[in-house]
Amino acid sequence: MIAGAILLVVVVTMVIGARGVAAMRTTSDFLVASRRISPTLNAAAVSGEYLSAASFLGVAGLMVKDGVGALWYPVGFAAGYIAMLTLVAAPMRRTGALTVPDFAEARLGSPALRKLSALVVLVIATLYVVPQFKAAGMVLTAVAGTPYWVGVVVAGAAVSVTLALGGMRAATYVQAFQFGLKMLLFVAPAIWLLLQVGADTRRGALSPVEFTRFSHVTPVEFQLDTQLTITEPTPVAIGGGPEQVLAPGTYPVEAGATWTFPTGSSVPEVAGAQRPGGETWARPLLDPGGAGHPVLATWSVLIATVLGTMGLPHIIVRFHTSSDGRGARRTAAITVGLLSVFYLFPAVYGLLGAVLLPELYLSGATDTVVVALPARVDGGWAGFLVTALLSAGAFAAFLATSLGLLLALSGAVSHDLLPGTTLRRLRLTTLGTAAIVVALALPAVHLDVGVLVTSGFAVAASTFCPLLVLGIWWARLTARGAVVGMVVGLVASAGSIAIDLFAGTPPGLVSILFGQPALWSVPLAFATMVLVSLRGRPPAWAPAAMLRLHLDERRP
Amino acid sequence: MTRNRRVAVASPQTRLDMSRRRSGVRVAMPHLAPADLERARRTHRLQLRRAVATLALLALLIIGLPAVLAAFPVLDDVRVAGIPVGWIAVAVVPYAFLVVLAGWQLRRAERAEDS
Repeated sequence: MIAGAILLVVVVTMVIGARGVAAMRTTSDFLVASRRISPTLNAAAVSGEYLSAASFLGVAGLMVKDGVGALWYPVGFAAGYIAMLTLVAAPMRRTGALTVPDFAEARLGSPALRKLSALVVLVIATLYVVPQFKAAGMVLTAVAGTPYWVGVVVAGAAVSVTLALGGMRAATYVQAFQFGLKMLLFVAPAIWLLLQVGADTRRGALSPVEFTRFSHVTPVEFQLDTQLTITEPTPVAIGGGPEQVLAPGTYPVEAGATWTFPTGSSVPEVAGAQRPGGETWARPLLDPGGAGHPVLATWSVLIATVLGTMGLPHIIVRFHTSSDGRGARRTAAITVGLLSVFYLFPAVYGLLGAVLLPELYLSGATDTVVVALPARVDGGWAGFLVTALLSAGAFAAFLATSLGLLLALSGAVSHDLLPGTTLRRLRLTTLGTAAIVVALALPAVHLDVGVLVTSGFAVAASTFCPLLVLGIWWARLTARGAVVGMVVGLVASAGSIAIDLFAGTPPGLVSILFGQPALWSVPLAFATMVLVSLRGRPPAWAPAAMLRLHLDERRP
Repeated sequence: MTRNRRVAVASPQTRLDMSRRRSGVRVAMPHLAPADLERARRTHRLQLRRAVATLALLALLIIGLPAVLAAFPVLDDVRVAGIPVGWIAVAVVPYAFLVVLAGWQLRRAERAEDS
């Protein structure tokens, strides 16, 4: 039965891959298509590429873990397209630039800036693509019960096979179809779940109670090494052994262990996490790990996501398929509408997950809540079918975004960082990058998908956002100012995220400033870029290079 | 029917950049005719003003709403159709606001171009 679900996922993968091959026969198909595609279709393609595993799985998972405040993530993901629409879409299309490195070259004529931008593409794409692989690995683990590393390697193999078949890039209608598929596979199961759970659960989801007692016999399979704190004598059966009573104290649990808690026993506390359903959990503000500064944390995530969207390497290239600047702007506006519909639904999974599967907070598998819910609600074939549909949707989300990002990554390496380009080398670079990403995803199992993706947004907001905004709207920007500002933004954002990930930071204000640096690193990057530019002189052609981006293509 | 050979698709900038690397010649830098320059200046000023207004409204949502929710925790206890108002404020309201804002900005930006 489980094998059937996996098989379905793989078949769906293959079908999508095959459609991709059929759609990108020749270069001229791609170029001609760019003149015919309507903004609506293009917006569907942008959304298809954008809705990643972080949207499909991560938001609901973060909601179970961190509370209702996690719903700010998708607000930022959608609001990013308002910033895109207002500041970037039309002028960027008029430069003819496919990527930010291209834009840097077109606007400021500096090869050094081009190389630096390509380096930033590498950082952003890596931060964005590694959690996609982690999510794919977790889904396969949850659905098939295989070890995590098997899931990640299978996901890597699926991506490599799709790439070897020709990729699914350059085909707007394939991505648009992807969007429809994801929308259907996310919304229909959500409605089915809502109808299936019954009035009591629906009421319970709206009036959450803190998860302090197990309501039924609950086996918890720990995915991570965990530190449990037990405050009252708690009966538990460890690894299928006889039931024993643990005295209050702190217990280390190794990943892979299974503890079974009987009905009514008290729920242990996990270091650095809060129990779902409590008072802080239900507050509509982000307070990861109970750091105590919910407004600052919420603002930081919002600034990162809103300003970072315009710098995502796999998204910006999609706007080039618009016929002109106006088309690109309409595409961005329609994208806001499409994403807004999709993002109404993660809350359904998050709220039901907090009521029906609160034990995920113990096992560390909150990212799998979306695919775990149907089986919890219905043990029969219907639940199985919906699990299969959701797994297919999650896998489609993983594939669409990963392929786009891997191609952007290898494009940056082989176009901008190494001299000369051949199609064969592009493909080899892509396969090599996929292997590196699999290797990076293996130790990333304890990182939240949504949080790591937001780090990618934070780096984009601290580097490409000032470059694009000042480059498009301010004629006095100099190449030197752009280089210094981007280096400062990159070091500030990526540096503090790295410190937070590898060295760890004390909880409280410091952990927010390092874990979500956008609140200070974005203004810092903007200020540096402006001040250094003001000390230099832009070349005489700079005003023309900027102003032509605001001219409508059609003559009046 | 002939089989088309597959070639790498590159943006105009990339093609320029690659040919420059090969030939070592710098391409001409952008320039605008005086009439276009004047029109572009006007459009740029107008678009900038409109963009700032839209961004101010966006800031009102992403800076203002979390501050309001933090200042008035009582919103979590008020319920509409059984759902806490604080939850509706983050799960539904922002999207309605964003859709309206997108339509508004799109119309104004296109009108600024047409004038």
